[in-house]
Amino acid sequence: MPLHLLFKSLQRRKVVTALLLIQLAMTFALLLNSILLAQQTRHQLQQPTGLPLQQTLQVQLKPTTNALRQYPALGDLLMRQMAAVRAIPGVEAVAYSNQGPLLQGGNNGNVHDPDREELSKANGVPLYTVSADFFSVLQLPLLAGELPQSEIAVDGSAPSPVVITKSLADKVFDGTPAAGRTVNRGPVAAVVADFYGQRSAGTVNYNSIQVAPLYGVDWGYSLLLRTTPDSTGKVRQALPQVLQQVDSNIEIFYIRTLAEQQQRLYSNEFGLASLLSLLSALMLLVSMISSYSSAYFHTLKHQQEIGIKRALGASKSRIFNELLSENWLTTVLGAMAGVGCALLLNKLLSQVISIPALSWWLPLAACAILLLCVTVATWYPAAIATRVSPATATKTL
Amino acid sequence: MEQLFYYLKVSWFSVKRAPLPYMLTVLILSLGLGVFFSNATFYYRMNSDPLPDKSDKLFFPMMMLVPYQCSDCKPPSVLSYSNVAKLAASDIPSAKAAMYSADGYLRQHATQPPTPVNIRITQRDFFTMFDVPLLHGSVWADDQARDELLLSKASAEKIFGRSDVTGQQLLLDDRLFTVIGVLDEWQMLPKLYDAFGRNYLNAAEDIYLPLESGYDYNYLSNRNSSTFDDADYRKLATDGRTKAIHQLQYWVQLDTPAQQQAYRQFMANLVADEKAAGRHPSAEANQLVMMRDIIRYFGGESGDIKAFAIVTLLFLLVCIFNASHLSLNRYLSNQYEFSLRRALGAKRSQLQLQLLVDMSMMSAFTLGGAAVIAYGSINLMNYLWPSNRLFASWDLQLMLVLAALTLICSYLVTLYPSLRASFGSLNKQLKE
Amino acid sequence: MITLTNLSKIFRTELIETHALRDINLQVNEGEFAALTGPSGSGKSTLLNILGTLENFDAGDYLLDGISVKGLSDAALSKLRNEKIGFIFQSFNLIKDFSIYDNIELPLRYRGLKASERKQRIEHALELVGLHARRDYLPGQLSGGQQQRVAIARAIAGQPRILLADEPTGNLDSLMARQVMELLEQINQQGCTILMVTHDPDQARRAGRHIQIIDGQLHDSTLYDPLTRQTA
Repeated sequence: MPLHLLFKSLQRRKVVTALLLIQLAMTFALLLNSILLAQQTRHQLQQPTGLPLQQTLQVQLKPTTNALRQYPALGDLLMRQMAAVRAIPGVEAVAYSNQGPLLQGGNNGNVHDPDREELSKANGVPLYTVSADFFSVLQLPLLAGELPQSEIAVDGSAPSPVVITKSLADKVFDGTPAAGRTVNRGPVAAVVADFYGQRSAGTVNYNSIQVAPLYGVDWGYSLLLRTTPDSTGKVRQALPQVLQQVDSNIEIFYIRTLAEQQQRLYSNEFGLASLLSLLSALMLLVSMISSYSSAYFHTLKHQQEIGIKRALGASKSRIFNELLSENWLTTVLGAMAGVGCALLLNKLLSQVISIPALSWWLPLAACAILLLCVTVATWYPAAIATRVSPATATKTL
Repeated sequence: MEQLFYYLKVSWFSVKRAPLPYMLTVLILSLGLGVFFSNATFYYRMNSDPLPDKSDKLFFPMMMLVPYQCSDCKPPSVLSYSNVAKLAASDIPSAKAAMYSADGYLRQHATQPPTPVNIRITQRDFFTMFDVPLLHGSVWADDQARDELLLSKASAEKIFGRSDVTGQQLLLDDRLFTVIGVLDEWQMLPKLYDAFGRNYLNAAEDIYLPLESGYDYNYLSNRNSSTFDDADYRKLATDGRTKAIHQLQYWVQLDTPAQQQAYRQFMANLVADEKAAGRHPSAEANQLVMMRDIIRYFGGESGDIKAFAIVTLLFLLVCIFNASHLSLNRYLSNQYEFSLRRALGAKRSQLQLQLLVDMSMMSAFTLGGAAVIAYGSINLMNYLWPSNRLFASWDLQLMLVLAALTLICSYLVTLYPSLRASFGSLNKQLKE
Repeated sequence: MITLTNLSKIFRTELIETHALRDINLQVNEGEFAALTGPSGSGKSTLLNILGTLENFDAGDYLLDGISVKGLSDAALSKLRNEKIGFIFQSFNLIKDFSIYDNIELPLRYRGLKASERKQRIEHALELVGLHARRDYLPGQLSGGQQQRVAIARAIAGQPRILLADEPTGNLDSLMARQVMELLEQINQQGCTILMVTHDPDQARRAGRHIQIIDGQLHDSTLYDPLTRQTA
């Protein structure tokens, strides 16, 4: 059917068509923005963390008695726990740390070069206090200097040496070699590769690590352990009992792989993306229902007209195509209006959450999805329309 | 009454005549409303005012009394002990309490396994200021350090198996405390006195300890805390009281605008004096934030819920459009019957009464469907956003609003079609 | 009973104006049985619709029982239709999922009659059309002739003054058509004015008066002089 006749047919049902168009436009807008958000979340989950996510387990725990939370009883507890964990088959390395990586926020502070504080200051840098094996557990490549080998500083009173990540070293020392220099936290012993620290920090790859004893753990602490690839599950199962046997005066908050920890870090985004995707699916369903009913009622009301067309020699496939193309036209019109709606919605959403801007190819993809759904929904009523007998034409004339 | 039943019967017949379009209409409306309800529940609860009589009289004072210089910084969101002491010197407020929270382990005897508890470490005005109901016993006589604590009803029942436990003794982190009071059921939602960093989503604490004891026993804050200077945050009893260790929330009650004005002046004077004495370098940046504005001030508003609110509203609109589209089609295919009724002498008002009954019936079905979908969708949201879990409950007021909304939507959905049907020309349909 | 004075009806579309009825003058007296005939498109259905107040007109006047229907509110027109006019359609127009009883009850409900009175009237109407035994059937379970008799029962249950019938036998075979005609004559004898559109010359002849309509103009067997206006 020529385009102007299609338009005419739509015009005949102004209100119904308008309702359908508005709804298609809104569906289109939501679909687009859901795709955007889902994409962003996927992107966030896929950004490199610099960490062996699958094979690293993190145990978050806390002694339940006052005495065990303080040095030296704490130091002894840590030694016993690490020895017991190391003995579990499949464990390759274990270390303690005041906090794990891949967190929203935690213990952090500023790091700067004391000689040029204002220029070099990095704020909100996660500050880790760890045992020497921390680097081997997380398989952090050493880029410069030498990793400290013992938790106790050589003379016992000077600040423990500091290990910083590459991007922090570049920030504080402006790209000049950092090993051997001093930051406000202590002498820089080594520079290691970047890894994901805390999300709330300005730059997630800034980290400052000190190999030192834990003097107090009022906020709990982490045991980080790397396992052989096939034994992660078994080690995880064995851990609670092993740790309870070392000392029962502890509370284990959770045991997670770093991969799970990363998932949790983006759980809000993941939740919103899931909900929006679900809603988009529902909206598509709703659009399908309305395309269906629109075509269905149209067929019912225009049986006679269809009959006349058939009597005048229109083939079944022609009737079928006419109905489909009418709905396609509505969909494309709706999608065009939808681009405007999508931009508006994008703007609204960006005021309350972070969402990337629209790209050019997304509308096309969303339009294709919409067209597919509309086609599926119109198929059945269109097929019914082709069954209208040409004799209908003569019945009531 | 008999007439009503008749109208209901006629409505039911017209449903039975075309059950699929009717079911789809109800389904779509239920979907839209259900999804909207579920998010509205969270939105409404998170934005509700837990202390409507007082939330405009309670204030959180914040000042740039810090040892660093910053030209256009917001003042720290928590205060140091010494800052609070300086503020507490004023008698302008009708009530004032400093507070923070910490974790601890509670047990009755050393032989028992410990129960992890949240501790609110605070002063005696806390209970009157936030209308905390007391079930048994009393609060502390003054703000001195003492080994006395108050329990929430739930923790009392959990540990002792009953709530009347005043005078009993308990081990909190291996120190012996006496229970002097038990609170009645109490949840301040959102928990506005602890609003920073979305902590307002959490439940109220399990036990309550005097502020001075918290400092004496070195309970570190489990919320945001900042240490400036060379202070050691582990030495709360000493450094904590004198140096720049910021971890306290401080609330004052200022009942009248005059009090509020006087207190602002007091804060301004205090900061000026301190600056003159050389104790801090920064320019004045005083804030006196009203309790009802505190979440916004801290920027902790739930972006996800808001974003989803926009989207669910959109979805509801789409569903309304869709449902009216469907119901228009349904009425148009029934128009013949309307014309017949008109020919038989039905007044428009009589037809519209019939439509009103149609609408009520649709509202009832829709409300049922929407409630089921909202229930499912709230569970889904609880699963995906567990931190909002406490805000998932319905109260009467909310349910009434939702029922009214359903009625309005059903009305919108039936309004235009019914007008079309009852004002349509009479003669056309009867001849065919 | 019915007085039409210079009544005209024009259908307008974007392109053309069609004069469906042109200066119609007509007087129908109480108790008459008038047949309205004419070729397709001559305007007889339009006239019948106007008489039944289903459609309005553009010029002239229409007095029903001496009262002009011009400018009456919708509620007043509905009341008029409900109390004074009964309709019979070619295609019966029964509501398919209502029982015979419910169908006949419909106009009585609109009048707001009490249940006991409604019942009495329905029983009486069913008695008259001889379908008392079928009161709980659905229309689909009856033959065409029976359905039309139900429609007649519905029309007369309200005891109208005028019965407007639009080709009441058009969809029926000759035997059934005869039964329906006899029924209408019987109703007419009881004092009800009947105006019937028909194609059948026999039926037209059986009616007491024969009005022909051609191209929107009347050719009446009994001429009417608008100057000697009568009140019914």
